[in-house]
Amino acid sequence: MKTLQANAGVLTNLEVLEFLRARGATSDPMGCLGAVAPSECKVFDHLVNTAACNQTRGAIDEFLKRCEKFKLAKAEKLNIINLRPSNQALIDPIIEYCEKRLTKDEARGIDEVQELVDLVLEVLPPPPAKPDEEMQALEETPTEKLMEEN
Amino acid sequence: MFDISNDDNIFYACSHFEGSMFCLSLIEHNLPLPPHLLNRPLLDAIKEELERLFLDKVISNLGLCISIYDIRTIEGGFVFPGDGSSTYKVVFRLIMFRPYVGEILCGKLKASDANGLHLSLGFFDDIKVPVHLLPLKSRMGEDGIWIWEHECGDLPMDLDEEVHFRVTKINYPPIPVEQDANANPFSPMEIIGEIYGDGLGLLSWWAD
Repeated sequence: MKTLQANAGVLTNLEVLEFLRARGATSDPMGCLGAVAPSECKVFDHLVNTAACNQTRGAIDEFLKRCEKFKLAKAEKLNIINLRPSNQALIDPIIEYCEKRLTKDEARGIDEVQELVDLVLEVLPPPPAKPDEEMQALEETPTEKLMEEN
Repeated sequence: MFDISNDDNIFYACSHFEGSMFCLSLIEHNLPLPPHLLNRPLLDAIKEELERLFLDKVISNLGLCISIYDIRTIEGGFVFPGDGSSTYKVVFRLIMFRPYVGEILCGKLKASDANGLHLSLGFFDDIKVPVHLLPLKSRMGEDGIWIWEHECGDLPMDLDEEVHFRVTKINYPPIPVEQDANANPFSPMEIIGEIYGDGLGLLSWWAD
């Protein structure tokens, strides 16, 4: 075996997800049999629970275009796309020397970190809700109805 | 010589990005095709053999092989003396799992002990957060669960929680010649992570 190029291109989580989906991977473990290997199914299962599941190429393109002004490194943009941080605390570890590179000036009303977070929230869809979160949402609705009736 | 490229599917060529959790590696390999596969269409047979050899295996310094992305060229088909197989020289691209140092990933807390935390991504389990890379004021409880002593109160690092961590190192230890019967199964690829710093650690600590 000879490595001709260790790094011959990078893929977003979305692209790997689409690749596996096109090969026949599904969330149903029995459905995966024959189409993709069990190890590929595990990768699919992991990705389907991340933000990549609801992303589209259009959304990623828009994000890349609109985040130009923040002058992020290429790897940082990709990390943001894959992780979809939803607030300032979560985005902070992704950007090296964040305090120096993104301006935060309360006096002048500038908060570039918040601008970036807002861009993420607006353009990149959130990851799928976890099963217990969905259960909580279902449980809350009947109570709200009762309160409205009263 | 066949040339089967698949370039239209790479949406983001390396001109955009320097590093990512998943990347492509271009490999050349002399592949003997066992006789029992010779009646199959060549491309299928070669893909099957490549999958058998590479899928879910760690290649030192390249990472964990996730999938065969595409086959670019196939040459040869020579039969060597005394050999029932035909040997083909195949050039192909593999999807590799190889996060870069500094990348922020999200894993599940699978186990916790005196050495620190063990995280998992489902398809990859060998992620360790050693004690010195936990938040500064951390102590281990009696049940083996680590606790972050925060000013606002104790925050336990419970199992099955989602944890954001920064990749600090990737080790590819050499295969041991001998192993104790009781030793943990050998892991050919190990990610060392840190959860020290704002925005790292349990997602529930920082979520809205």
